Amino acid sequence: MQRSQRRKKAVFTALKLLLLVAMVVIFFLPLVSMVITSLKTREELFVVPPVVFPRVAQWVNYVLAWTMVRFGKFLVNSVVLSLFYTLPCVMSSCFAGYAFSRFQIREARGVFLLVLATMMIPYMVTVVPLYLIITKIGLTDKRWLWLLFGLQGAPFLIFLFRQYFSTIPLSFEESARLDGAGRFQIFFYIMFPLVQTAVIIAAIFAFQWSWADFLQPTLFLRGEKLTLAVKLARGYVDQKESLLYHVGMAGLLYYTLPIVVLFFALQRRFISGLLAGGLKG
Amino acid sequence: MPRRKRREGEQRTSFYLFLAPWIIGFLLFQLLPIGWGFWTSLTNRMAFSVNLRFVGLANYLKLVQDPEILYAFQTTFLYALLHTCLAIVTGLFGALLLEREVPARGVFRTILYFPYMIPVIAVGWIFRIFLDRDTGFFNVVLLKLHLIPSAVAWLADFPLGSIVSLAIWQSGWSLIIFLGGLSTIPTELYEVSTIDGANYFRRFRHIALPLLSPFILFQFVSSMIYAMQTFIQSFILNPRPLRGEMLFVSPPPRETFFVMAKGFFEVTGKNRFAYGLSLLWMLFLVVLLITIIFIRLGGFVVYTEVEEKR
Repeated sequence: MQRSQRRKKAVFTALKLLLLVAMVVIFFLPLVSMVITSLKTREELFVVPPVVFPRVAQWVNYVLAWTMVRFGKFLVNSVVLSLFYTLPCVMSSCFAGYAFSRFQIREARGVFLLVLATMMIPYMVTVVPLYLIITKIGLTDKRWLWLLFGLQGAPFLIFLFRQYFSTIPLSFEESARLDGAGRFQIFFYIMFPLVQTAVIIAAIFAFQWSWADFLQPTLFLRGEKLTLAVKLARGYVDQKESLLYHVGMAGLLYYTLPIVVLFFALQRRFISGLLAGGLKG
Repeated sequence: MPRRKRREGEQRTSFYLFLAPWIIGFLLFQLLPIGWGFWTSLTNRMAFSVNLRFVGLANYLKLVQDPEILYAFQTTFLYALLHTCLAIVTGLFGALLLEREVPARGVFRTILYFPYMIPVIAVGWIFRIFLDRDTGFFNVVLLKLHLIPSAVAWLADFPLGSIVSLAIWQSGWSLIIFLGGLSTIPTELYEVSTIDGANYFRRFRHIALPLLSPFILFQFVSSMIYAMQTFIQSFILNPRPLRGEMLFVSPPPRETFFVMAKGFFEVTGKNRFAYGLSLLWMLFLVVLLITIIFIRLGGFVVYTEVEEKR
């Protein structure tokens, strides 16, 4: 009886494993196609039936991807802009999350609902008029604007921080208060270090958002300050503006790499932190 | 009493001090632009208008009478629905596979989540090449497996389906939500039901699904809101232009010319600010309406523990 049950369980696990492997294989196909395309010659791109593997891997595409569009410059632009956004976004969300978790005043619930309601505002409904306003007051092409954009935080991150702060016992603060610490001292010396995991998660998200953002840099910045997202969205082209898929894929690999590295370096804490704190309740 | 009042006053000061950055951001970058945008949508503003006039709801009336706009709303809604349902099904499927002891659970979890982190522009381009009729890897695989008789022009013949396929690939977010949801289900419930002789599917139907329903509702609503705003994919996966300069200038196929894409097109391409803004405002209202309807509808379906607690 027990043996048959154990066998049944083993079969079940094997079946699950099989399905998982199938899923992973399917999920990897587009990435494989990306890498392979990035190593083809231009002629190999258009051969029908398609060449699955390039005859000789064209590593030169990776050099071209870097040199054809002044990649280094736009990379720096992207990094700067993403950091400009990430820093205030994480701080502001953290502050707000703390406010909602700790201070029980009458209107707190209503304000929190307002924060959640902002999730329903389509992104463009705010960004396009903002573009008109900013052009009108002559602030186009200013990178420091991103420092301000970050201030609105993000509803999801505020929610995440609230959840994290709520798990910290009130007694921590009480004793510090009795010792005469002010509210900002308490926040920075006691509470902030305790939500490190949430800070990491929030920073990854905020960085990824601004790294991937196409609309705001398109509207608010000009040539020299544009980001990789804007440059690469149009693809790599030759003098006749024909699309160069192979070089494009190499460029996009460069563009995706920082996010991938960031994610894999921190993924253990990132995913388990999300599971532990953010999603319950 | 006065002491308690002072305490409350102190709490209020702290609350607003900590909330101040958010309030500033909200007022400057949400409320102000939205209000200004609405006001502008009531005018005839173009890029460089000379005689700016107040035209009332004229732009909105023009929108409602335009069959192309109504079609755009229809196709956007259809896309959002397909996107949401497929992402939820894929995510739920993955979460159930990863629910309990499986070897290398963490590795699978990371791999299935990972495409979600790839920026949307890269995803668009990856799929533009992956789904290409003549040179795409997808057709090669399907032909090798004899699943299709001849190469299919996915981007040209199934534009909507092509963009929806990105949603499956990027379903990592719902995977995480559902893994979180499944972890809140007490194991005793499963054990008891197994002793009572329930098989896997009955356990799923009668325990996991009801307890997951709030998570599914949350995921459904937030994914709908998100998917209604899709626009870059329409341009990048547009099969027609083979020249880079045309990519964001030539209109996508009708089936994937979503509301957001139309708004972006009107504003940046044709400089019709007021018209574009009223379109965006209409989308805002539709999103609001859909959210309210689905949350209301969800109220009937979602299982809550309130009655039991009483």
